[in-house]
Amino acid sequence: MTLAADPRTVFTHVQPAPKPRRQPANPTSRSVPSGTLLISTITLLALLALWFAATQLGWASPLFLPSPAEVLTQFQAVAVDGYADGTLLQHTLSSLGRILVALGVGVVLGVPIGLLMGLNRWVRGTLSVPIGLYWGLPPLAYLPLLIIWLGIGESSKIVLLSLSTFAPICFSAQAGVRSVPAERVNAALSLGATRLQLFTNIILPSALPEILTGLRIAVAAGLSCLVAAELIAARSGLGYMIMSAANFLSTDVVFVGLILIAALAFLFATGMRWLERKLVPWKGKI
Amino acid sequence: MLQIRDASVTFPASDGSAVHALDHVSLDIAPDSIVVAVGASGCGKSTLLNAIAGFLPLTAGSITLDGEEIDRPGGDRGVVFQKDTLLPWASVVDNVALGLKFAGVSKTARRERARELLDLVGLADFADKPPYELSGGMRQRVGLARALATDPKILLMDEPFGALDSLTRETMQQLLASVWARTGKQVLFITHSIEEALTLGTTVVVMSPRPGRIVARFEASFVREFAETGDIGPILSDPRFIELREEIRALIHRPAGKGTLQ
Repeated sequence: MTLAADPRTVFTHVQPAPKPRRQPANPTSRSVPSGTLLISTITLLALLALWFAATQLGWASPLFLPSPAEVLTQFQAVAVDGYADGTLLQHTLSSLGRILVALGVGVVLGVPIGLLMGLNRWVRGTLSVPIGLYWGLPPLAYLPLLIIWLGIGESSKIVLLSLSTFAPICFSAQAGVRSVPAERVNAALSLGATRLQLFTNIILPSALPEILTGLRIAVAAGLSCLVAAELIAARSGLGYMIMSAANFLSTDVVFVGLILIAALAFLFATGMRWLERKLVPWKGKI
Repeated sequence: MLQIRDASVTFPASDGSAVHALDHVSLDIAPDSIVVAVGASGCGKSTLLNAIAGFLPLTAGSITLDGEEIDRPGGDRGVVFQKDTLLPWASVVDNVALGLKFAGVSKTARRERARELLDLVGLADFADKPPYELSGGMRQRVGLARALATDPKILLMDEPFGALDSLTRETMQQLLASVWARTGKQVLFITHSIEEALTLGTTVVVMSPRPGRIVARFEASFVREFAETGDIGPILSDPRFIELREEIRALIHRPAGKGTLQ
């Protein structure tokens, strides 16, 4: 075999191009369900059926376990007439508003501070102690302190939630910077990158998958803090509604609240997955 | 012209003693030459390359490129790594254009130049793919194109084909030989394969570990033939090739009396 000095002739023969991975072709991969959607749907329906059967057959008193029909009726009633000084929509929006503000604060403060901690030994050494100390505490343990300082209004809850979202975002941004492969940094430097170019072109995008993981944790931490804080000290929100209903043994309203919180959590999880697909499609592929 | 004068690199070992990774190494790399450093693991060949790239400071000695002292990484030395260092969020063409982006070249101009280089390495059809959809050999070709894009004075290649299967590796060697023949770049190439060293080098330096130093130096010209014919078969069976190969093998696997193979 004699190959010309033109390298193009060299390769085209030797290496067949691999098939692009994202080909919608291959009908078998489509027809064989690889996901778990169907199984999950069946499980959900089975749970609903079990709930229905339990209440129909009188396994549990309606005081402890209201029937699906009752919950649905109550859902409509709360949605239209309201419960505990607010309609369902108002309670939901109040909870949603708190968590979105807290996530906003967590991202706006947590990402830059975490990046700085990853880049600079002094910032890391200084800040990791106080953040690590409070992050180790159960948020509800210092909620009373926040109420003493800030009163029972919105600010104490917003601060509590922001603290619970800030730490995971901050630490993940730091970990993201620390996990950038040294070879990737060296490669950029040998291509003539300045320090600023290195940060914007290499370090920031390299840290993005970790930051999104931190955001996921922040969403979970924020949701659990949100409801707990509303149970203790609030005049609106889904947690407050549940607590009020529990005081009057309105189990059906408690169920309405729980279902809505579950729906919120599901919405956030789906949103996070969408964000990851959008922002870091390469995650797990290298 | 790259000049290395009495370069030494010493690390502190975990037991407190000093490891002489590089011990008084002197070497010139002239334009239009491929210098291949070959040796067993720990002989300092990668340390040498990292020092030239500017990733690692010298403990003593000096390295100059066209008279300028090297003390940090820079765009005048293009590096091709063994590990894949492409950016997964950027398309292949934008990966190749990265150095030009750092240099402030406009988007259209740098993409045009990057496409020319992708054409040179035979990947024109893959310009818009993300790098993780490419095979290992293709990614190394992108890495080579990326290093060439900024038109560096010297190419530093750190076992770039070490992780590839033998067929792909041969293809990559052909590519490098022909790219070198066309561009006339000076190249420092690190490998642990004696055959690769002889196939690609105009100069082959043999290194030995503890302390890392150059123990022998051979001139070869098989790469010119290789670049012209693209056929490695006749070279591998050339009596001169075999003779040199055995000589280098003997140097690397020195008798245990020297204490190097323990």
